[in-house]
Parts: sequence; structure tokens; C-alpha cells
Amino acid sequence: MISDVLRIGGRTLSSRFFLGTGLFPNPLVQKEAIKASGAEVLTFAIRRINLESPEDDSILQHVQDGDFIYLPNTSGARTAEEAVRIARLARASGLSDWIKVEISVNERTLLPDPVETLKATEILVKEGFTVLPYTSDDPVICKRLEEAGAAAVMPGAAPIGTGLGILNPYNLSLIVEEATVPIIVDAGLGSASDVAKAMELGVAGVLMNTPVAKAKDPVGMAKAMKLAIEAGRLSYLSGRIEKKRYATASSGLDEFKLT
Amino acid sequence: MELVINGRTASLEARTIQDVIDHYGLAGRPVVVEADGEVLTAPQWADTVVRPGMKIEIVHFVGGG
Repeated sequence: MISDVLRIGGRTLSSRFFLGTGLFPNPLVQKEAIKASGAEVLTFAIRRINLESPEDDSILQHVQDGDFIYLPNTSGARTAEEAVRIARLARASGLSDWIKVEISVNERTLLPDPVETLKATEILVKEGFTVLPYTSDDPVICKRLEEAGAAAVMPGAAPIGTGLGILNPYNLSLIVEEATVPIIVDAGLGSASDVAKAMELGVAGVLMNTPVAKAKDPVGMAKAMKLAIEAGRLSYLSGRIEKKRYATASSGLDEFKLT
Repeated sequence: MELVINGRTASLEARTIQDVIDHYGLAGRPVVVEADGEVLTAPQWADTVVRPGMKIEIVHFVGGG
């Protein structure tokens, strides 16, 4: 098979799994799940430190012994301005110039605000960030984000943490068809079958957190998702058969039938 | 000196941002500081003088998706 690597922001990735670091039952399980996932890109959020118990472990202490690409997000931002501020703080850590733009206003759906997301992407690209915006599964906004200089575009499959799977496979396939940057499905996936379906649509990768972290066995699920990504990708590259309404015998050789 | 740190008023002895970091025992930790809206990298902490009422944010990476 030809080599099939993913390139984003000048980096070459051998894993198409972007893993979130929230909601795991404990650091040990998280560490094992990260290992089982094979993920090279890990996402984080930026929050105020708790000054009353500053000894609280930073998440980084638990994942530092791997060669990861850090993808901080701008969660909590409600406007482009707030997202840009969080992005600048994240970059000042010296750990990464990658940023996942995530701007939500509606607390119930957490759906991204595409207008603010586009504004923030334009600003952050100019400031030299490698920008990966999380956005809605709309082909037009995804194209606009690409044109604004996004290194990859990350449409949601369904609202964050719902596990509803791909609500609009038609849109997602159009987004992939039109894109010249990698498309990463971010949010809403629930299980390995959702992941395989996403990969079969031709997306370049998936970003997940809740379906792994909140699974009964997060380590097992991380492995399942990894395999689903590989299976779905290979299925996409190998070209599935056309769907037909009626049967076709697999044995052929009609003239040699016994009856 | 009265400072507003992470949204709360705090009274502490400090001349620079580095002193604030040391006060909370955060030296060597992967934290990021913003002072009056300006993001500071770690090498700038010792040269950034605090002033009464300065709004300081001390943030770090936490788990997230």
C-alpha cells in the first residue's frame, strides 16, 4: 500500500486520532487510554489556576513523557475576541502554536458560532498560529475557513458529548469533496461504528474525547476507536462496492449450475 | 499591594510578576500569565513590575476536548 500520512501545519502525523484529555476517571486510565489510542495530537483547555490549591496537578504532568503535539482549545470563548485572547495565552506557554478555535454561545447545544469562528481564524492565521477551527457541518463555512488559512477544518458530527454519531453524512461528504485541507470530524461521535463511517466518508481524521473518556472501559474504547479509524480509512482508500437493490451471486459460473 | 488575581482581590508583597508566581508556589510550573490584558512569557515575569489594582490572570492547561 502507498504511504498514507496526514500532514497538518508542516507536521507529518502517522495517527489520524486526535484525543481529548477531559473527563477521564483518573490520570492513570487517561495515560493508558492515550497509549492505546496511538494518538499524537492531544487537546487541552485553558483555565484559571486554582490559587487556593495550586498544588493541583496540571494535566501536563501526566502526559509529558510522550512526544505529542499539543492542541489547546479556546473553549469557554463566546466571541472571536475571547478566543484570540485564549489562543495567545496558550501559545505563551511555549508548548504549541496550534490552536483549536472553539466558540460557543448556546450552553444547551454548545454548537459552534461559525461567524465568530471565521473572524477568530482570520486573526489567528495572521498571527502565525496553526489554526484548526471547530465548526458546524456546513460545506460553505468549511470552505470559508479553509480560504481564511485554516490548517485543517473540523466540522462536528453532532453536538459535543452527545454520541449521536454523524447527523448529516451528506454534508460531511460534500465538505470532504470540496476541501483542499484535511477535514477532521470533531465532536458528536459515540462508538467505533460512527468512527468507521466518518473515515469511509473520506475525512482525514477524527477528534474525540467523551466517547473514550466516559466509556465503561476507556482503554478498551481507545483501542476500538484506533482500529475503527484504520479500518474506515483503509475501506475508503480501497473503494467500496456500489449499492444494488437486488442480489448478485458470488459464485458466478452460471453455466455450470447443477440444476 | 492589592492586586486582582484570577478575578479576586488579593493582598500580597510583590514587586514583579515573578514575585506573584513565587508567592503562590508556581515557579517551574507550566503556567501562563496575563497582566492587564498583556500576555507575558516566563522570561518577562521578572521584568514586569506590578502596580496596585493590576489585573493578573494565571492560567494553565487542563483536560479538554
